[in-house]
Amino acid sequence: MIEQLTRRLVLSAPAALWAGAAFAQQKEPFRFGALMPTTGPEAGYGLDFVKTYEMAVKDINDKGGVAGRPLEMIVLDTQAKPELAISGANKLIDVDKVAVVITAWSSVVKAVAPIANRTSVLELNMGANSPDIAHLGDYVYTVFPLAEVDVTALAKYTREKLGKSRAAVLYINNDTGIGGAKIYRDVFTAAGGQIVAFEAYDPKATDFTGVLLKARVGNPDVVHIHGLSELPQVIAQMRQLGMPQQITSYSAGYNPKLLAQLGAAAEGLIVTSLAPTAGTNPNVAKLLDLWKQVGRAPNGLPYLQYAWDSTVVVADLFAWVDKNKLPVTGENMRKALLEIKTFDLPMTGKLVVTNDHRVDKPVYLYVVKNGQFTLLDTIA
Amino acid sequence: MDYLASAGVLIGIYIILAAGYNLIIGYGGLNTIAHPIFFALGAYTTALLAIGTGLPPVICIAAGIGVAVIASVFLAVTTLRISGDYLLIASLGFQLGLLQAINNLDFTGGPSGLSNIPVTLSGPARGWLYLMITAALALLVIWLVHRGMSGPFGRAVRAMRDDDVACAALGRGLFTMKVVIFAFGCGTAGLAGGMYAYYFQYISPEQFNVAQSATILTMVVLGGIGTIWGPVLGAFVLVALPQVITFLQLPSSLVGPLQGLIFTSLVILFLFLRPHGLVGTRTPGAAH
Repeated sequence: MIEQLTRRLVLSAPAALWAGAAFAQQKEPFRFGALMPTTGPEAGYGLDFVKTYEMAVKDINDKGGVAGRPLEMIVLDTQAKPELAISGANKLIDVDKVAVVITAWSSVVKAVAPIANRTSVLELNMGANSPDIAHLGDYVYTVFPLAEVDVTALAKYTREKLGKSRAAVLYINNDTGIGGAKIYRDVFTAAGGQIVAFEAYDPKATDFTGVLLKARVGNPDVVHIHGLSELPQVIAQMRQLGMPQQITSYSAGYNPKLLAQLGAAAEGLIVTSLAPTAGTNPNVAKLLDLWKQVGRAPNGLPYLQYAWDSTVVVADLFAWVDKNKLPVTGENMRKALLEIKTFDLPMTGKLVVTNDHRVDKPVYLYVVKNGQFTLLDTIA
Repeated sequence: MDYLASAGVLIGIYIILAAGYNLIIGYGGLNTIAHPIFFALGAYTTALLAIGTGLPPVICIAAGIGVAVIASVFLAVTTLRISGDYLLIASLGFQLGLLQAINNLDFTGGPSGLSNIPVTLSGPARGWLYLMITAALALLVIWLVHRGMSGPFGRAVRAMRDDDVACAALGRGLFTMKVVIFAFGCGTAGLAGGMYAYYFQYISPEQFNVAQSATILTMVVLGGIGTIWGPVLGAFVLVALPQVITFLQLPSSLVGPLQGLIFTSLVILFLFLRPHGLVGTRTPGAAH
């Protein structure tokens, strides 16, 4: 009898799941917006973010959705440009009536902030790290740690653990670069180090010889490069100029494409990551399996982990609003965020939303050894 | 629908920009591509005054127009003795140089831009109020261009464009005419910048880069260079079209390339099939 019942239960479980999923598909979906660069120079990252959102949304819907309703994402292209982000945010909020918009790239987050605050729609940053993001208003929150988290840890580690005393800081002249470089400079100096060069380069530059030679004149024992997709070119040109110094960068450097582009020139590079790896978190392995079906390695895996988790955060907010029988509005989504406060997320672990609009996370330091990112240290 | 109002405000701002640019390049025949920097000067002056002094918006925008006019007169006086390709290169240098300065100064916020521009109008009707103000200003600019180009001064400007030597031989002061239309056209860009800063509450250097020149020039050419209503139509088509595409429910990876493809195709098609634009005649400036 028990055996029969168990068999029935086992047989009925997938059917129930399927029925639940089908039921979820029939109901009015919970919609959220995402403003990502799907074209333009940053599309390499942006398209992978979108792909990961789609995977996360599918995963949630396959499990029955949110409170029996499907989750639906509306993506609009920003090309990482503020003017397109403004137009996209207006459409998402006014036409698609979303109560929450996920954004990334500092200038996009900033451009959307006045609209989010004015219309009382929750804006969640999932990938930009400009320290200014903490001060953008009541409706702008981040699920991604801002630059002070990993850059502070890296600068302290370089000075105190690696014993470096003379640092050159090269940075891309945009929001991300300036914010990160200033933090590195201040922390490294406060720890007793000396900044021998502090040089910016143009975001569209392809030749970095000038800033590298200025750095070389200062005779640094470590070069911190705070850049984006141009990082491999800067490092390659630095090595071509015969500069053997230790190089450090932040989470944008934790990218398998960088290793493929640089080859041996990447050896010894130290980068940060703000998310655990597949070795320490089995959920990450599942994400990588999903990417294997895409047929290539994803760009910026830690960012994709945050992309997945931001979708989970959004789903949790909808679930809270639904459970409390509140209408789905930006005010209520913000209320949900502040009430839930602590999220247990599958890809990046515990997330605590604080009143100062920041989040704290452990920092993983990696060094490139034999063509692989190898864990160097974890700073909690 | 606030979204429609927002799109309308953007169209209005681009009509002001395109009408002013059309006066310089279409009627005056002055090949400049520095128009976005005057847009930026208007926006930054307005925003900095609004943030730093809390002065009424009218005064902040007037100051923005003033700074744009002063900068344009400076550019005019130093470069208008040259023309054609040389003027084009000089204006490009002016655009790039000033934008680099904005990009590297602390008080302009550098590449981060200015994000704390105060709210001037609030409430559910905000978008529509801004739309009415922008539409009124756009109409005023169009009317002023029309008035200016309809009378003897307008005929002299067109004569200067078509043959400056013959025009000078008739005793017209070419230099004064050039400075006047340059200052007026760039002043309208300053006005557009002021409206942009107040409405969108965030400005950064990348919003005013040289690609904006291509956009505004395309609006003028597509609508009809040297006509009154051409820039209006051009601004409407080029702002509205990308918005319409986002409603087609296409995959996000397709929307961006499609927008680029349509933009490029329109330019090429118009260059070959209708070089005088949608409302233009074969002789620019003779449309009215």
